[in-house]
Amino acid sequence: MVFEGIAKTALLGFEMGMTLVLVTVGLTLIFGMMDVINFAHGSLYMLGAYFGLAVVGVTGNWWAALLVAPLLVGLLGGLIEYFSIRPLYGRNPLYHILLTFGFAIMLHGLVTEIWGGQVQNISTPAVLDGSVDLVLFSYPLFRLFVLGVSIAVTAALWLAIRQSDFGIVMRASAHDSEMVDALGTDVNRVFTAVFVLGAVLAGLAGVLLGTARAVDPGMAASVIIQAFAIVVIGGLGSYRGAVVGAFIVGMLNAFGPMFAPQFTDALLYLLMAAVLLVKPAGLFGNPEAT
Amino acid sequence: MGGGGGGSDSVKLGFVLPFSGTYSFLGESIVNGVKLRLDQQLDGEIDGRTVEYVRQDTGADPSTGASITQEFLQSENVDFIVGPVSSAVAGAMKPEIAGTGSAIWLNANAGNYKLVQDNCTKYHFRTSFNTWQTSAPLASFVKNNVSDNVVLSYANYTFGQQSKNLFREEFESIGGTVVSEIGAPLGTSDYSSFLQEIENSGADAVFSFFAGSDAVNYIKQFSSFGLNETMTQTGSGFLLSADTLQAQGKAALGMYSLLHYTPTKQSDRNQEFVDAYSGQFDATPNVYACQGYDSGLAAEMAVKEAGGTDADTMVDSLSGKELDSPRGYFKFRSSTHDPIMDMDIRQVVEANEGVRNEVVETLSKVEGPTWGCSL
Repeated sequence: MVFEGIAKTALLGFEMGMTLVLVTVGLTLIFGMMDVINFAHGSLYMLGAYFGLAVVGVTGNWWAALLVAPLLVGLLGGLIEYFSIRPLYGRNPLYHILLTFGFAIMLHGLVTEIWGGQVQNISTPAVLDGSVDLVLFSYPLFRLFVLGVSIAVTAALWLAIRQSDFGIVMRASAHDSEMVDALGTDVNRVFTAVFVLGAVLAGLAGVLLGTARAVDPGMAASVIIQAFAIVVIGGLGSYRGAVVGAFIVGMLNAFGPMFAPQFTDALLYLLMAAVLLVKPAGLFGNPEAT
Repeated sequence: MGGGGGGSDSVKLGFVLPFSGTYSFLGESIVNGVKLRLDQQLDGEIDGRTVEYVRQDTGADPSTGASITQEFLQSENVDFIVGPVSSAVAGAMKPEIAGTGSAIWLNANAGNYKLVQDNCTKYHFRTSFNTWQTSAPLASFVKNNVSDNVVLSYANYTFGQQSKNLFREEFESIGGTVVSEIGAPLGTSDYSSFLQEIENSGADAVFSFFAGSDAVNYIKQFSSFGLNETMTQTGSGFLLSADTLQAQGKAALGMYSLLHYTPTKQSDRNQEFVDAYSGQFDATPNVYACQGYDSGLAAEMAVKEAGGTDADTMVDSLSGKELDSPRGYFKFRSSTHDPIMDMDIRQVVEANEGVRNEVVETLSKVEGPTWGCSL
């Protein structure tokens, strides 16, 4: 009984952590490459859910939403980067913070204007409805699906960054963008590609979690706080840090209510403060980069 | 100071409501309700006086609410303050209204019972509900029909804490057992680990307070983890209300809740209201729209009975009076100016498109404590 409870809570924590990875990876890659602190990242996540809602509304097909909504978010992310963020590279990072914060407010207003402030819902596709018997306990099938997608995406991205040519250029650009530029690679295009990638991942997370949970304009704010906490814990700009940080926060979210239900929120900030005291650059951060 | 607005030929209402952010939908619903009564049904006139409005956005910020209230009272010379949504904003507005004493406050949503408990003011009339009314009266229904033991789960902020405390007091006073209680932070999006604790409690029923997107997230996850098969979910009506029920869908089937307004309530008065509202706004009225509508009814009655807009005279013409509310019986209690009203216990059932609340039992003329207030 106790063992089952702990096993189930551990799986819950693992699932929460892995889904948080989808949101935080984009945030951390964009910071790591371009030094842009993207406050609009939570809004891109929210847009993923609303675009998903719209695509399901038009086509009646959830799988179409899973495919199309992230691409639309990616397209919008690309436009935002190209037309507004790019002109500000090399300036004081405060400009980017103000700019993306402005986008967050605008997108919130736009979503409220188009879809209203009421809570909405994307129905789970019939084939993923119901639960699976995992011997010790049963678990909702859709949540296992989300977990599977998150693991697959995280692993694929890890491989891509480590192994592919684009990954090498990415890492090199993060390290010394001027040198990469001088060697004949258009760094600006790399930056746009990374921004689009981050937006697609946020959009994907939006469709998946919007289906598992509720869709409402407040979802942007609630995810961005956790995402920033994870990025700070893991180390700004570190992919490994984002994954490990998300895993830790997921476990904290899962086991927190078992031991201290009243303080779950506070635990996150206590952990963040503790990590910063010991390692000011985060668990995997590069102290020289900050 | 102009011509001292609120003079003999006009009635001025000031909306102190959220028009942006999470609660903007609630603010708009309240305004719609007020305008349905005063603009559509009364042609924008009460007793020959033209109705005027001013509105400003509080967001969810108490100090903004207080400063808008002050401005409305002192430079706009409003006769009625309608709002707010948030109980915290209401707390900040109270001293402004009590101190000035020049307008009637039609509290169209904030349910915090402490507004009445601490220095109650005669200018405060609740056209909504108080926390006790939306939680405690469900206790005897749960004890008699559902289970004699419950676990409490709630959004961990003032209103959620009040709701579960008031339910707990009542449930224990009639011999029920509260097995344990689990508070989740406001705005939690993943409730799975809290649900694990609810399941571990071993209780047969749950009493909850969650609202808005929290209510949708909580209920969907409650059912997806199969808790609906082993426990009966009950709660304050905001858990399963018209603004969340469509998003909750079949996950909410069979659950019980308590509220003072149910759009599907079978009565001629309600049907008339639903038809008028949906004809005007192309939407089904929710509880906030009803509270707005009742604020319109109260403003109408106050001005008519008082023969003008003098605040003290209007207080006397509303205190202890009944309103013809779509929700059922409604009377401003003389001692507190909170409503004495009918409360519906509803169960979620299947409907043509999705689900709806069906009234299982109506508790008539629910009063609750006075918390020492004696106006």
